[in-house]
Amino acid sequence: MTASTTSPATRRSRLGNRPERLALLFVLPALALVVVFRVVPLVWGLGYSFTNYDGINPPSFIGIDNYLRLTQDPTFIDSLVNMLILIATLPIWIALPLVLAILIHQGVPGGKLFRAVYFFPAVLSSVIIGAIFNMILRYDGSLNAMLKAFGFSAIDWLGNSNTALFSLIAVQLWSTFGMGVLIFLAGLSTVPSDMLEAAKLDGAKLLQTWWYVVIPSLRPIIEFAAVVTTIGMLTSMFGLIYVLTAGGPGTATTLPEYLIWLEQGKLNSPGYASAISMVLFLLMGGLAAIQIRIMSRNANL
Amino acid sequence: MRKSIVNMLRAGTILAAALAGAAGLAHAEDTTLTVWDFKSGDPALADYFNAVKSDFESAHPGVTIQYVMQPHDQYYTLLGTALAAKQGPDVVMVHGGSQAKERTDALVKLDEAVAPIKNDVAGWAEFTGKDGGLYAVPLSIQGFVVYYNKDLYTKAGLDPENPPKSWAELSAAADALKKAGVTPFALGNKEGFGADFFLSSVAANGLTADQAAAWEKGELKWSSPEIKAIVQAWVDTAKNGWYPEGANSTAMFMDEYETFERGENANVVGLISDVAHWKEFGGFLGDDKVGAFIMPPLGTASGALKMPFAGGIGYGVTKFSPHQDLAIEFVTSVASAPHMQTFFETAGAIPSNTKVDTSKVASPSAKLVLGWLGDGPAIVAHNSLPSAVEEEWHRQSQLLLTGETTVDEAVAKLDAAQAQANKK
Repeated sequence: MTASTTSPATRRSRLGNRPERLALLFVLPALALVVVFRVVPLVWGLGYSFTNYDGINPPSFIGIDNYLRLTQDPTFIDSLVNMLILIATLPIWIALPLVLAILIHQGVPGGKLFRAVYFFPAVLSSVIIGAIFNMILRYDGSLNAMLKAFGFSAIDWLGNSNTALFSLIAVQLWSTFGMGVLIFLAGLSTVPSDMLEAAKLDGAKLLQTWWYVVIPSLRPIIEFAAVVTTIGMLTSMFGLIYVLTAGGPGTATTLPEYLIWLEQGKLNSPGYASAISMVLFLLMGGLAAIQIRIMSRNANL
Repeated sequence: MRKSIVNMLRAGTILAAALAGAAGLAHAEDTTLTVWDFKSGDPALADYFNAVKSDFESAHPGVTIQYVMQPHDQYYTLLGTALAAKQGPDVVMVHGGSQAKERTDALVKLDEAVAPIKNDVAGWAEFTGKDGGLYAVPLSIQGFVVYYNKDLYTKAGLDPENPPKSWAELSAAADALKKAGVTPFALGNKEGFGADFFLSSVAANGLTADQAAAWEKGELKWSSPEIKAIVQAWVDTAKNGWYPEGANSTAMFMDEYETFERGENANVVGLISDVAHWKEFGGFLGDDKVGAFIMPPLGTASGALKMPFAGGIGYGVTKFSPHQDLAIEFVTSVASAPHMQTFFETAGAIPSNTKVDTSKVASPSAKLVLGWLGDGPAIVAHNSLPSAVEEEWHRQSQLLLTGETTVDEAVAKLDAAQAQANKK
């Protein structure tokens, strides 16, 4: 009855005009892929997180038991603490490529070469990077050989809880900061040259120009890089952990993503692993929401 | 007209029958048994795997055996995915102990099928489910012995033909080796395997039969005096300089064993299967330079020491295999005496089949190992750990080495992990 009273004009506005309907048609395949490969597994994962699924026998519903277990699981809590330590190093992840990008932008000799060299590790697989740094950081590796040659004591970089996580962070930073340099270089190319010129005429020194002109101009880029880097930190460390430390010593380098793999594959607990995945998903979702908010705010600037 | 229709129908029936026959033939020709393992790409085992494949294919025309070697360190993740999806391999290789026992629900019960070979093959206990059924055919026997470098013993003033027989003698030998500038033991504990091997080799002759049975059932606590003493010994031996620095960042396979093969340390807890064993070490150091002894228990041993050993790796059949009968035939063929003979002679692995002729082996340490097999097994303590408890032991063992936890704290956490596992 309602439908019959809707005017043709209203129907048209609801469905859009012909080009819009066509556009929707073209988007559908991509949308279907997202639904099939992202949304459906997510819903399955959510479902499994409320079960005792062992990957073999049919799952039984156990309510929020997996989530309650998480609150008392020292390994999971340690993995969250490690994650917070990792996130706390974010300023270094931003400042290092930013400073290098500014130096390249200002035309230091060999800037183009440095740009290529900095970016090079980004094309290497994390497993290859892990294998290389295993040779460097292991107890009888080249870094300790160098330390000993200069009269220092060797350090078990990967086998000591005080150094293992920071060693991993340093390796990950080394392998990814080149991308940050490129992002900041792109951002720097948008800084109006007349502002730099004006600062120079006003007698601003180099650091003052950076602090008062360049960095404020790059604020949207820095915010974007911060959010993207944080999400990358939480989802791309697995390869290095797997190759370099296997999550140890103890739980020193266990991050939630590694724990998910461990529980799912090695400990036959896909149900519990799903609960950890959901928590990580919510954390990532929170960060993504922040990212969207920042980007939409910047779009309004 | 009617006749022609009948003829046409007849011709059609013949054609359909021919096509169906051809399809059936094609189906038979296309039958492929997919076998997942983590060994078939090993050159040392190539003769064995090739012989099993070619013999089975010859006896079953139209059947192809397709070995798919998965990376060892990712094997159970991949297998878990295949089992959850209920597709992939028809036959799977599994380690004996918890890795097999925790997957029996996905495997076919083999009791009837293996009855003809049961008495010829050893190691079944490690592939027995909670219901008492057999779920995989043992391929190898896995045991833990201490291999030692006779030259380094001589260098330290020790008698290379008279290795330690008690904990006191072992401690004295370690002191002598350190004095001579030799690290007593190789150790890699990056994945926690070093701690597993230590636990099993020390516990083997240190538990009474009742304690060993209780341990296997998960009823003997880590905080019990017997087990806690072993954990304490793990710490003490590290503090006493038995191991090289950096054990927590050294992988057991193969970094730990390579240091032994290079002659950097005097002893190593090794295996008797196809890797880290007498044949491999003899290849590097010389058969006559490699000795072997059974790790003595803490305190005083009662009676002759027994080697800890049990079923090593085995083959099971997945419940979702569309070719179950064929797959069962295959897994019963892998442990036949002629195949196992090849397994032993080419790879040096101690085979599960007791009919294999091992009399021609020349290596002195292999002769010792084969002799200890005849004495019967001692418990392999880490084999009966649920995987979650074993993982916690890996973690705690590393923290004990760095001094970040105490023995009391570690055993308390392990007790908690054991209690959690017992709830399942």
